[in-house]
Amino acid sequence: MISGYLDGLEMVLQLGTLLAIAGGTLLGIIMGALPGLTSAMAIALLLPVTFGMPPVMGIGMLLGALCGAGASGSIPAILLNIPGTPSSVATTFDGFPMAQKGEAGRALGLSIVASFFGGVASMVILSLLAPPIAEFALRFGAAEYFSLSIFGLVIIASVAGKSLMKGLIAGLLGFFASTIGTDPITGVGRFTFDQLSLLTGINLLPALIGLFAVSQVLKDAFEYDPSARLKASEHRVDIARPRFLETLKHWRALMAGILSGSIVGPVPGAGGSIASLVAYDQARRFSKSPDKFGTGHAPGIVSVESANNALLGGALIPTLALGIPGEAATAVLLGGLMIQGITPGPMLFDNHDGTVYGIFLAYLVANAFMLLIMCLGIKVFIRVLMVPRKQLLASILVFCFIGVYGVDGDTFNLYLMLGFGVLGYFLNRYNFGTAPVILGLILGPIAESNLRRGLQAFQGDWTPFFTRPISLTFLIIALLLLVITILQNYRARRPA
Amino acid sequence: MERDLGKPLFDLVLLIASAAAFVHASALPNIDIVGDLSPAFFPQLISAAVFVLATPCFINDLREWRSTARGDHPVGHRRAVAQWLLVVALTLGYTLVFERLGYIPSTAVFTFCCVVGFTVTSGGLSALSMGGKVKALAAAALFAVVLASSVYYVFTELFDIPLPG
Repeated sequence: MISGYLDGLEMVLQLGTLLAIAGGTLLGIIMGALPGLTSAMAIALLLPVTFGMPPVMGIGMLLGALCGAGASGSIPAILLNIPGTPSSVATTFDGFPMAQKGEAGRALGLSIVASFFGGVASMVILSLLAPPIAEFALRFGAAEYFSLSIFGLVIIASVAGKSLMKGLIAGLLGFFASTIGTDPITGVGRFTFDQLSLLTGINLLPALIGLFAVSQVLKDAFEYDPSARLKASEHRVDIARPRFLETLKHWRALMAGILSGSIVGPVPGAGGSIASLVAYDQARRFSKSPDKFGTGHAPGIVSVESANNALLGGALIPTLALGIPGEAATAVLLGGLMIQGITPGPMLFDNHDGTVYGIFLAYLVANAFMLLIMCLGIKVFIRVLMVPRKQLLASILVFCFIGVYGVDGDTFNLYLMLGFGVLGYFLNRYNFGTAPVILGLILGPIAESNLRRGLQAFQGDWTPFFTRPISLTFLIIALLLLVITILQNYRARRPA
Repeated sequence: MERDLGKPLFDLVLLIASAAAFVHASALPNIDIVGDLSPAFFPQLISAAVFVLATPCFINDLREWRSTARGDHPVGHRRAVAQWLLVVALTLGYTLVFERLGYIPSTAVFTFCCVVGFTVTSGGLSALSMGGKVKALAAAALFAVVLASSVYYVFTELFDIPLPG
């Protein structure tokens, strides 16, 4: 393991890699600061840029975007009372009241440092937990991989959409899209309609950019209202500088945030808003002055922001160790890993020894860059909020085009991107969610090929899929989750 | 609650698409390998599952639509639809001319049309004086040319990503 870390360190400590991580972090900060734009979109837009890069450099850049967006959602939350990302909702509880008192700089300083501590702690937890989980997963055979795919799909479908049924439909659409192209076992072309570009299947990148970037632009275009322009904070912004000592003084809130984020993070689909609300609640519960929460109280900000970034490392555990992402941003990151030629899962820790530790270290460096860039550029990022929306939307679409076209110069992928963008828009509008589609697209081939290989190996016998202990466990958990979600939905709809 | 026909319509599209996919998959050739499933098995299983799950969604959404009182769309709904269609149409047009016109001209035209389109659909242009209109159009044109050229330079020169010339 130590040699793995040393190899990883060598990969990370190269000028190109450091610049890539810094660039990714900067873009993530900008995207996270703009309400409505997401970290998933930032990662999707960066994917094409990472093509020619070595794995650690490329993934480091994407992790930088994830880390930056996770932290900068607090900027509009504190200054405008508008959360930049869903996980920053709880930041508004104390951040905005503090800004109203003329202490916006203090609130920003606390949020930056708390995010940094949360991110660093989650990297430690990631590096400790991911390898043993991956080692355990080395025992998996075809039956286990099939069951794991079904488990992953059910788990994200049950939380991504507003209804379980719609989430499942979205996941199945992704599964179906993954069957397009040449059949992996018999070589028969499926749903290719004589289109050469479809012979190798649906390209992941146009699907990712379409579902997460184009669909968001379409949503923003629908909601674009020039009369609702954001106004700069009317309150005086005091000097925004990192508040290390003050953050550490509120260690109880910091620990509540780190623990909540780390526990909620690995739960697939749980998401940042849950982690931050749990952290806020725990910090208030263990506080000596709970009545001050909601009035611009520093521990409120510290707990929420540390949870937001602690969550990211936790969410990377199932993504890297099992190949199952925790939510939308890590689903896109998973796609990024696969585009880089890295197959997430237990073999990642076996085959790319230095690479995976390089990824861990890159995440640590991304947190350091986040701290540095946020501290140096806080005044600039406040101005980012004022960027005119129409120019921004046009620019994002231009970047989407370059990204998709740049892969292999195939115009067909541009149509595919637009198609997925329109599909993603309606899936989001009608509460199906887009994350299950991507997961279906990624897990579909794993499920199908392992099911068919398993059946060949077992001479057409289905029973090993239900009798092998690990496979059975995944299927039982998936079934239980389905039942629990159905019961919860039923109770929620039943009149009191 | 807003009365939205789009919901049941989208479910209906899913139902039709899944049925069509099922039928299309049944035409796939069957190759016998011991213990293996046919290439049609997975697509048929998935399309059948989508059909089964989408049916109650369609019924529920249709019921909800019928039970929701007919009301006027919120203020600005037409503008919102126009903006959405504008972006889809411009993106489709951009895709069509991307290779034929070359990257810089197609991107500059697309960006200009996007920015001006948003200004027009939101009523921003009609509120301006003649001088203001000229100024807004010139600013949009400048933005379009600068964005297209700078992005072309960055991606072709710095990232080595080939773009249509």
